Amino acid sequence: MAAMWTFALARLAGILLLGLCLGLLIGPVWLWILAAACLYLAWQLLTLYRLDRWLRMRSQMDPPDLGGIWGDIVAQVVRLHRRKQFHKQRLVQLFRELRRSTAALPDGVIILSAQREIVWFNRQAARLLGLRRPIDVGLRIDNLIRSPEFVLYLHGDDFAMPLVIRPPVQLDLYLALQVVPYGGGQSLLLVRDVTRQMRLESMRKDFVANASHELRTPLTVISGYLDTLADDSSIDPAWFGPIKDMRAQAKRMNAIIADLLELSRLESTDGEAPRDAIDVPSMLERLHRDALANADRPRQVLLDLESTDGLFGSAHELESAFTNLLVNGMKYTPAEGTVRMRWWVDEEGAYFSVIDSGIGIPAEHIPRLTERFYRVDAGRSRGEGGSGLGLAIVKHALQRHGGWLDVQSTEGKGSIFTCHFPPQRIWKEAVRAAIGA
Amino acid sequence: METADLTHHISRRFNEDLEKVRNQVLQMGGFVEQQLHKAITALIEGDSRLGESVATDDYKVNGMEVSIDEECSRILAIRAPAAGDLRVIVAIIKTITDLERIGDEGEKIGYIASRLATMERPADKYREVKHLGRQVAQMVHDALDAFARMDSQAAVRTAQEDKMVDEEYESIQRQCITFMMEDPRTIRRALEIMWIVRALERIGDHAKNICEYVIYMVHGKDIRHTSLEDVAKQIEAAHALSRR
Repeated sequence: MAAMWTFALARLAGILLLGLCLGLLIGPVWLWILAAACLYLAWQLLTLYRLDRWLRMRSQMDPPDLGGIWGDIVAQVVRLHRRKQFHKQRLVQLFRELRRSTAALPDGVIILSAQREIVWFNRQAARLLGLRRPIDVGLRIDNLIRSPEFVLYLHGDDFAMPLVIRPPVQLDLYLALQVVPYGGGQSLLLVRDVTRQMRLESMRKDFVANASHELRTPLTVISGYLDTLADDSSIDPAWFGPIKDMRAQAKRMNAIIADLLELSRLESTDGEAPRDAIDVPSMLERLHRDALANADRPRQVLLDLESTDGLFGSAHELESAFTNLLVNGMKYTPAEGTVRMRWWVDEEGAYFSVIDSGIGIPAEHIPRLTERFYRVDAGRSRGEGGSGLGLAIVKHALQRHGGWLDVQSTEGKGSIFTCHFPPQRIWKEAVRAAIGA
Repeated sequence: METADLTHHISRRFNEDLEKVRNQVLQMGGFVEQQLHKAITALIEGDSRLGESVATDDYKVNGMEVSIDEECSRILAIRAPAAGDLRVIVAIIKTITDLERIGDEGEKIGYIASRLATMERPADKYREVKHLGRQVAQMVHDALDAFARMDSQAAVRTAQEDKMVDEEYESIQRQCITFMMEDPRTIRRALEIMWIVRALERIGDHAKNICEYVIYMVHGKDIRHTSLEDVAKQIEAAHALSRR
């Protein structure tokens, strides 16, 4: 590059020298030097003009063949331009790939602005939600998806779980919608067709309910005959033991079926439990009395009623839940142990706890305890009887009351099962006294 | 033509107040759609509790109408909108009235459905009513979509569906009368069904009204007493012009 400039300077010097020579030969020196300089200037301006014209009409003209430095500038511009084109092509390719891959996604994706307006959506989203390009870009999403549950979900801040809705005009379509916030207040709305899963769920629930019902009748017949046989003194006494066993097993099967039906009922009646006024302290006192009368109980079964408030809910479901927890507590506590029931209220809600000094539950099993038929140790609990559905029933009953179950346990020391009820479900003692209940 | 500009302006640069009210109207629409869906489901599945819940929830629709009305009055008073914006407010005020009426008809359907749930169900399980119900629900949905998108062509298409709804209504009516003549024991149930079908037909009319308001909003034309064919032609012309 330096050579180029040296050459240019040399050329300028040469032209001026020529002028000087001509000036020395003919006429005034200064005139000829001035003429030479003007010539040089004119030539540079011409070249500049050609460069400028080319830059302006680059798409229609080939690069001019300019010498020296100007030629070098032209070459650089051409290089720059070529590089830019290359990068642009790469970006266009990338973008096209992105478009193709998002179009191939089986789920719908919508980008929402901070004001929940539609910024962009892929083909599947358009198909599942009936969105139209380009008219829907810029519209608020809740102007088009108007289900009240979706609007609540969208404007809330709990996006941990997707929301399943049935769009009001397509009767057989179930869509799972999930909002995923990301930087700058924007969020993604994911849409998935879960019709098949919902149908399978529904079939499963129906199957469980039907099968349980169907099993009841034959079981009743068998139990009936067994009862008769038990009272029949003409039978060989060697059969008394087996008959007693069979009756116990039949009773156990009945209990399992009853639990399955209860669970099935709880699962299919969505939503909330009714709001009947329930005197929880009296119910707990009754459960306490029944527990004390049970021969298989631990030595100590206690009841701490720290509040006289009641609950609004379903008496049947609550009794079922409390009984399940109490029976569990007693079952897994050794004979010298203690089981304590506790009922109290604070400003966050109402609580029912069963605290036992039993064998405890290893930490890794605790998250799965409320699964249907889940056993911590297949050997021990089956021996004790029970259906494996008790905690699932408790969990569902609590959900229907807007509450939840908390489990704490230390192996070898004992466990604490706590039912938490929200404040809206509490039947205050003061109110109860006022109406003289 | 000014129409295209207006559409562009209306759908892209509403001031915040107008956009908020439009959104509220559509939320009200969404709730009403859900009520209608529940009412029809209650009828088909014989779920009396669902039918009753539709009736008891209707007060929420009335509440929404009142609050949106107040908001519109406030905007009119404070901002004194003109031209396109004014048309939007006027159309909103009319639309919420029709939505509230749809809610009332839905309440009627829910109430009757809960009564019918205790009676014996007919052999075809209300198939015709279900079909009419679905058609009408689709009309309401499409009308609200057209409102959301300020899409006058969709509004015209939806308004034209009301003719089919009317025809189907008359056909079901004739059927019910035939049943009643053949077997007087079915009179009670047939009468209830006729009330439901009448309610559905009225909902179709209200949906058509909403479409007319959308066309008014976008084009400034009051088409309430114009034939739909003429309107469709005019809108097509307007769109062709704006596309050029």
